[in-house]
Amino acid sequence: MSDLESRLDQIVPEPQFSPRANRGPLMISMRNVSKRYVPNKAALENINVEVAAGEFVFIVGHSGSGKSTFIRMLLREVAPSSGQIIVAGHDLGRLKNSKVPYLRRNIGCVFQDFKLLPNKTAFENVAFALQVIGKSKHVINTQVPEVLRLVGLEGKIHNYPHELSGGEQQRVSVARAFVNRPPLLLCDEPTGNLDPQTSLGIMKLLERINRTGTTTLIATHDQEMVNYMRQRVIALDEGQLVRDQDRGVYGNVD
Amino acid sequence: MSINVGYFISEAATSFRRNWVMTFGGIATIFLSLLLMGSALLMNSLVTDMVGDIESRINIQVWINDNAEDVDIDGLQTILQNTENVQSVHLVSKDEALQRFTYMTQDSPEIVEQLQGNPLPRSLEIELVDTQDIDSVLTVIRNSEQFPLVADPPADPERALSYGQGIVESLLSATQTARYAGIALVGILAVVSLIFINNTIRLAIYARRNELSIMRLVGASNGFIRAPFILEGILQALVGAILAILVLLAIKSFAFPGLQQTLAFIQFSFTNTLMTHIALVLLVSGIIIGALGAIIAMRKYLKI
Repeated sequence: MSDLESRLDQIVPEPQFSPRANRGPLMISMRNVSKRYVPNKAALENINVEVAAGEFVFIVGHSGSGKSTFIRMLLREVAPSSGQIIVAGHDLGRLKNSKVPYLRRNIGCVFQDFKLLPNKTAFENVAFALQVIGKSKHVINTQVPEVLRLVGLEGKIHNYPHELSGGEQQRVSVARAFVNRPPLLLCDEPTGNLDPQTSLGIMKLLERINRTGTTTLIATHDQEMVNYMRQRVIALDEGQLVRDQDRGVYGNVD
Repeated sequence: MSINVGYFISEAATSFRRNWVMTFGGIATIFLSLLLMGSALLMNSLVTDMVGDIESRINIQVWINDNAEDVDIDGLQTILQNTENVQSVHLVSKDEALQRFTYMTQDSPEIVEQLQGNPLPRSLEIELVDTQDIDSVLTVIRNSEQFPLVADPPADPERALSYGQGIVESLLSATQTARYAGIALVGILAVVSLIFINNTIRLAIYARRNELSIMRLVGASNGFIRAPFILEGILQALVGAILAILVLLAIKSFAFPGLQQTLAFIQFSFTNTLMTHIALVLLVSGIIIGALGAIIAMRKYLKI
């Protein structure tokens, strides 16, 4: 058994409530963040959010409510029009372009469309993420099978994406995001293309990963999942933060 | 690091295979422009040799009328021998002049046979140290008191002076024009090959856009993302450059011996050192063009 799995098994069930005061150091801090793609129309307006290390957070809202912008700003794919964002100790406003890759090595990403390379097997897709940040063959050959086992694909590591179901493809994508053990995992509609049963499996996997200490942020409009998981919920509506609730539900954002 | 180098090369090679039509276009244009650049350099060295050779043969001749006094001739000769920039002064006698004329017309001896007596004048042959500064010596000759006395014809002393008037100037200006035209042509071709390589790299970037977006997401460093493309540009340019060098070498070994035979009077300094220099220039300019084309393509189409 790998050390990761044994750690997962030792994890005690988390307490029923976690008051904010007891949270650990900040993983994400957004202060007065606004983003306008066009003048006079805010994609995000004056957002203030703090996420502590180890939290599991849903960001909910309709299409166009600003969820994706939220995620992309944390990745520094887009810069805020105003305000300050600190991720894993990096002040993104002051981060040089050349340092952005090193920020991203601390952030795992999962997307609705999986973003797997069709001409690479599951193993190669995950290995690619390590290869391009210069990890040695030895590291790749030990970590990749381990993380694929963690996501439940031990029997399919040499299958190509087209030979895998949607849920399995998303598991490869999660494995790729997590293989480098980033402290922060961002997911943009990770279950958007999957049926409810498969979605639940992915959510449970993400929750398991969260329990290893990985801060997990999930942008979704999957009402059922949010209500089922009972985790912190940040609701966005037309760029405004309308609700930030511990152990929340999707709620009525209409 | 050893893993990375292997990775870059295999990426570049894959892209090479995938886009071979565009790659071929890139190689062909860079080959042509470098071939022209090389030919221009060769021609340049050839022309420089020719001009230098012709320049070194320039001397001043003063035609002397048959009635001139030896005293005056000696006097002029002495003045010239003491003039700066004069290498040597040689008096060509009538016999020597005839001898030379006979030699020059040896293919048709009847010309000399038909001569009555020796109509050829004596002359002073003045060799110069620096052929660029011919005017100062001419001034000395014109200002000497003996010159009007010995000049042939005496009525028009200016016609007694013969010094290849303007030959060098016109030769130099002609080669200069040719040189500028060559530079312009090479410049245009360099820009065309830059555009071609830029295009190939753009296609390569497009073909790999999914991989690139994942590389960016997982935090591959910018250098790591760029390296295969720069390598591909350089690889194309290198193939073009090597082809150009091979063709130039072929030209040298096939066409050149014939040329040297035709222009036997000129000593060409067409050596292996020159070829090595040209090859180096072509390789370096190829690498610069290739890398630059790739870098421009990436600046525009690979936002990192």
